Amino acid sequence: MPGDTVCKKCGTSWIVPKNLKDILSKARSSRSECYNELLSLCPKCRPQAFGERTIGEDLKKVPRRWRIPRRRVEERKPVKTDQRSGARVYKSQCYICNSGCDALVFEKDGKVIKVEGDPSSPITKGTLCCKGLASKEQLYNKDRILYPMKRIGQRGEGRWQRISWDEALDTAAERFKGIEKKYGPDSIVLATGTKRGTWPDYLMRFANAWGKQWTSTGWAQCALPRLSAGGMVLGGSAAECPDFSKTACILVWGANPTNNWPHKAVHLMDAWSAGVPMIVVDPELRETSSKADIWLQLRPGTDAALGLGFINVIIGEGLYDKEFVEKWCIGFDELKARAEEYDLDRVEKITWVPKAKIREAARLYATSKPACMMHSVGIEQNADTISSCLATVMLPALTGNLDIPGGNLFPMFQGMRGRDDTDYTLKHLITPEREKNILGAAQYPLLSSNECMLYPTSHNSTLWKTMLDGEPYPVKGIYIHGTHLAVNVANTQQVTAALRALEFIVVVDILMNSTAELADILLPAATWLERDEVACHIQASYNAIQIGQAAVRQGECRSNYAIMNGLAKRLGAENMFPPESDEPFFDFMLEKTGLTWKILKEKGGHTFPDLFRKYEKNGFNTPSRKVELVSSKMKGLGVDPLPAHREPSESPINTPELAKEYPLIITTGGRLSMYRHSEGRNIEILRELMPRPLMSIHPATAQGLGIKDGEEVVVETPRGSMEAWANLTEGIHPGVVQLPSHWSGMNNVNLVMDNQRCAPLVGSTELRCQLCRVKRKE
Amino acid sequence: MNQKEKKMLVVLDCCVGCHACEIACRQEHDLTHETGSKWCRVMTVKPRRVRDELYLDYFPTMCVHCDAPLCLESCPIGAITKREDGLVLVNGEKCNGCRLCISACPYGAMSFNEVTQAAGKCDFCLGRAEFGIEPSCVQHCIGGALRYVGPEELNEVTKGKHTAFFEKVCYASSQWKLVS
Repeated sequence: MPGDTVCKKCGTSWIVPKNLKDILSKARSSRSECYNELLSLCPKCRPQAFGERTIGEDLKKVPRRWRIPRRRVEERKPVKTDQRSGARVYKSQCYICNSGCDALVFEKDGKVIKVEGDPSSPITKGTLCCKGLASKEQLYNKDRILYPMKRIGQRGEGRWQRISWDEALDTAAERFKGIEKKYGPDSIVLATGTKRGTWPDYLMRFANAWGKQWTSTGWAQCALPRLSAGGMVLGGSAAECPDFSKTACILVWGANPTNNWPHKAVHLMDAWSAGVPMIVVDPELRETSSKADIWLQLRPGTDAALGLGFINVIIGEGLYDKEFVEKWCIGFDELKARAEEYDLDRVEKITWVPKAKIREAARLYATSKPACMMHSVGIEQNADTISSCLATVMLPALTGNLDIPGGNLFPMFQGMRGRDDTDYTLKHLITPEREKNILGAAQYPLLSSNECMLYPTSHNSTLWKTMLDGEPYPVKGIYIHGTHLAVNVANTQQVTAALRALEFIVVVDILMNSTAELADILLPAATWLERDEVACHIQASYNAIQIGQAAVRQGECRSNYAIMNGLAKRLGAENMFPPESDEPFFDFMLEKTGLTWKILKEKGGHTFPDLFRKYEKNGFNTPSRKVELVSSKMKGLGVDPLPAHREPSESPINTPELAKEYPLIITTGGRLSMYRHSEGRNIEILRELMPRPLMSIHPATAQGLGIKDGEEVVVETPRGSMEAWANLTEGIHPGVVQLPSHWSGMNNVNLVMDNQRCAPLVGSTELRCQLCRVKRKE
Repeated sequence: MNQKEKKMLVVLDCCVGCHACEIACRQEHDLTHETGSKWCRVMTVKPRRVRDELYLDYFPTMCVHCDAPLCLESCPIGAITKREDGLVLVNGEKCNGCRLCISACPYGAMSFNEVTQAAGKCDFCLGRAEFGIEPSCVQHCIGGALRYVGPEELNEVTKGKHTAFFEKVCYASSQWKLVS
């Protein structure tokens, strides 16, 4: 309907009340200026203008001095029935992402009516992020896969026929057996994605019991490098568990916890607003880096050099914890010599971070007692991911912040089985003969061989290549459980071609997507609201067992364990659990803790007592029982055991010729708060928050290219092109563009990312630092 | 809970732009995608350069419950009322869907629900308050920016800080001189 006033900002017209003048004259006395300004805009533009106006244009910067007492956790008894709605309340664990936050699920008349944070949870302090709060929308999504189905049209055509579970599992087992007979035992692989509770680890048990290799799509690019480095140097995952509650300084490296670890952000923000200073290493000014007291805007892919710069200052200025280093660390002199090669002039040149800032940050981190650090996926997608992770995991050791309150803690799950327990993983079934057939075993020992610190998985791009050319053996079938391969790994063109070349594909998923469309048999998985779970999760908490409880069930979806167990039974894979109930498996996981699933369900979880300086008893979990600044494992593998900078394969320095044609550095994979990886775009209320992928580009760079804010752009690399929308921000370096990942179709950044050049030892792809050019879409 | 004394305190320093409040609000008040309605939103104030340093801010907005509400004045049928405790409330059942209040609200806080065909806006989770539970946006705020507080706590937290009072909502910042 055409209105009679035009918005000064967006130009749309809207209707104003005829008596607005009268209304205004009645009310204007107090805030007339504000009203005049805002009422000249359409209602949609007003909130933004209101915000910008209130924050003010005449800005006077004063040092941040805010001291707010930290939020407390309410002591509450578990509530079984909600007084207000009469709904039954389930204490559960949210797995809309892999954070595993405590949540309350409100169920009434067989429907979930609400999902909320659990105010009695010390992990989340009652909060829940926007994704978790929208879980109900995933449960009742129109794209849900609700029944087992078989494909009746061409592959990818989208024509399905509903079948029974028995028929689906029988068919899958029969076809897999047929392929195995025809092409050999290695012709079938399994694939999974991000850990959501304990089940992705269970897939490894299934793979080992079945005698097949498996791949985790993100593993080499996310978590494995930092867990490996932590395991080799510290003998555990202390670098994953910062204790924000008692710290005096926070160092965040390559992470944006407000978006991807919301429960960590709660404690981080509580500490920060109570006055604890924060250092953030991030190439873009984003949610977390905007709060930083010292923000180090580094050139993407140069984390190892910056880390060595930190170590250079800490050792060179004698700021390290001499007593701890002398007593508990080996290889200090070698590290010192290496760090001396990285004087701050050199580091500034490599990283683009002013040396004064590096010095200030390193001093602040090293002299604050206690200090904690967290690092994440940002440092695991460059040219040498193990190196950058080695540099960061050493920091808490050098500064004596290991396993002390307010520092970085080793997890305290006493007796709970985990992925390091061979009774659980069945890793002993990977015999040397089987091991050598895992794709990538020779080239990437820390990913694909038994040298791996956790469990061997096949290397992504080697696997796609093998599917396409049949070397060294044919791969003809795949069991995909919970990963969107057609979107979420680099070189989408190769991945989709490889999948289409297969004879048989089984996909287990929650929602329909373009990977599921390629399946022959489609199996419906349960969302977290429909399945039981028991998990110890270092990324959620260092000392708690959390549980998930099924509140409802949509269609014929089954729990992940039940699906794998049902298939294993038909395949004759031994050592698996009965498919009827998940309880025997949970009790097996809990066996050594003295707890059972029934007890946990009654209690709503279990928290172990805090224990600090655990190393004083038996040393660190490394071969020397000490912190190995020079890793004996790395030495054994015959590689440089110390961190070192390795220039990205493509960069203005390494490939100046290519940089003439492709002048911008493209960095991708920065997480958004409303989506987890490829998930969430079909949840409409989340999609409204970010309807399309926005490429961050500096205004000066955009101006040179004739690109305006919000315009559609084309990003090109030697591999191909993709499309996005420009978001002009001064928060990014003029030579860098940042693209969000995991969008589908032409907006998929993996269409332009290379997957051939991979980091040594673990085979990570260089998603954070390649070269591109950008133009306006005509 | 005595709502008269209470104010929504927005500590701008602590807002991390995560949108948890927005989705919490939509879930609490059943504002599905189809309703096209939002009572709480988080705006991003893009990075600005001040004396060679960059600042990026987030700004949650909601109804401020004006003392002389323009929405109330504009409503031809008296579906909007100002309660004695200061809350401005919309009677959705009475609303005739004329949308005049939406045009009249300078803050863009009034929202039209396409499903119920009625106007609606933030009521500080009245339904929760009756049971002594804090508003959903406050409970789920990751950064701890939203606080529903009495006068004592408000004074304590904002002491020495820049503030901007909008009746029932108080914005506070340690960095920026706010404009009300």
